[in-house]
Amino acid sequence: MNRPGTSAAYLDIRMTNKPSSEHASSDPAARQAWLAVLARASLAQLQAQAPAADTLPPVQQVRPPEIGMVMLRGRVGGAGNPFNLGEASVVRCAVRLGQGPLGVAYALGRDKRRAELAALFDALLQDPQHHDTLQRELIAPLAQSQAQARAQTQHAVASSKVEFFTFVRGEA
Amino acid sequence: MNATSTLAPGLPDAVHDSQQAFRAALDALARPGQVRHIGPALSGVALGGALARLLLSLCDDETPVWWPAATAADLPQWLRFHTGAPVAQRPDAASFAVLTDLAQLPTLTDFAPGSAASPEMSGTLLIELPALAGGPGLEWRGPGIAQVQRVGLPGLPEGFWAQWQANHAAFPQGVDILFTCGDAALGLPRTTRVRRLEGL
Repeated sequence: MNRPGTSAAYLDIRMTNKPSSEHASSDPAARQAWLAVLARASLAQLQAQAPAADTLPPVQQVRPPEIGMVMLRGRVGGAGNPFNLGEASVVRCAVRLGQGPLGVAYALGRDKRRAELAALFDALLQDPQHHDTLQRELIAPLAQSQAQARAQTQHAVASSKVEFFTFVRGEA
Repeated sequence: MNATSTLAPGLPDAVHDSQQAFRAALDALARPGQVRHIGPALSGVALGGALARLLLSLCDDETPVWWPAATAADLPQWLRFHTGAPVAQRPDAASFAVLTDLAQLPTLTDFAPGSAASPEMSGTLLIELPALAGGPGLEWRGPGIAQVQRVGLPGLPEGFWAQWQANHAAFPQGVDILFTCGDAALGLPRTTRVRRLEGL
């Protein structure tokens, strides 16, 4: 049975198999990129760009927002054996606009509205009519600020990096 | 156009609807032959309400589901999206089987009977019937039935009840069946003895 809120939920985002045209709005790699940006965006950032409800076709919640858990896996030293780091709560959602494409979203945390908005934006981004505007006004600035924040963190922690050396003893 | 553009929603209230359907299925198998109401049909799903709701309630990523060869691809995909249930390639690999075409009904021995050590590893068949009453008369006896339960299930192929006799005789192994029709379901667990009243 599907039990949101208990045990580890399976993450099965399956990208739509084949792009039906050359358009950027149906390219799996491009979609992965904007889904990654949407997954990291805060609620305020998404809400600021949310289109008014009356300008949209009716929104059907194919999978209403639900909270579950995912197992986070790490690797020893970043490249060694995988291990289970711990579980994290995650919220996921799938919506469809009218008869249009299906928008999906996964986001860390328990904020249902955030996942709902991200799914809505994913559906809109797959629609050639809205793709370019949203890509320019929502995804590009968010991607840039996320990359900046990441670089800043990397810079901040770089000064505390420790290198370990082992010296070979002379008599060996 | 890919199949995700036709993907239908699941249960309107996932928690309570699946609990209700689960309870009704439990009741149906505990009281063989008594009709239990499951729930109305789901929009956009080409299955009866009871059948669709039972699938969403009972399946998960560890229960392969067997679909007849003629099934449109969107039904297995719909179930997989909402529950994670994989498609079984062979009937005997399935935990659940969806049987909607009575003319093409596989035999009961095609499905997994479980083993003597773990009879719970058997398949459960969900068979959609045109009605849950009015067929050739049957008398059911066994656990969950006080004296005798009169049942008449229309549309089942000839030889079905002979197969059932063998299935019952194989206890503790064997398959269980949930007959569905529209919103309602009726259970036939492997412990039930069936006697035909007419037309042997």
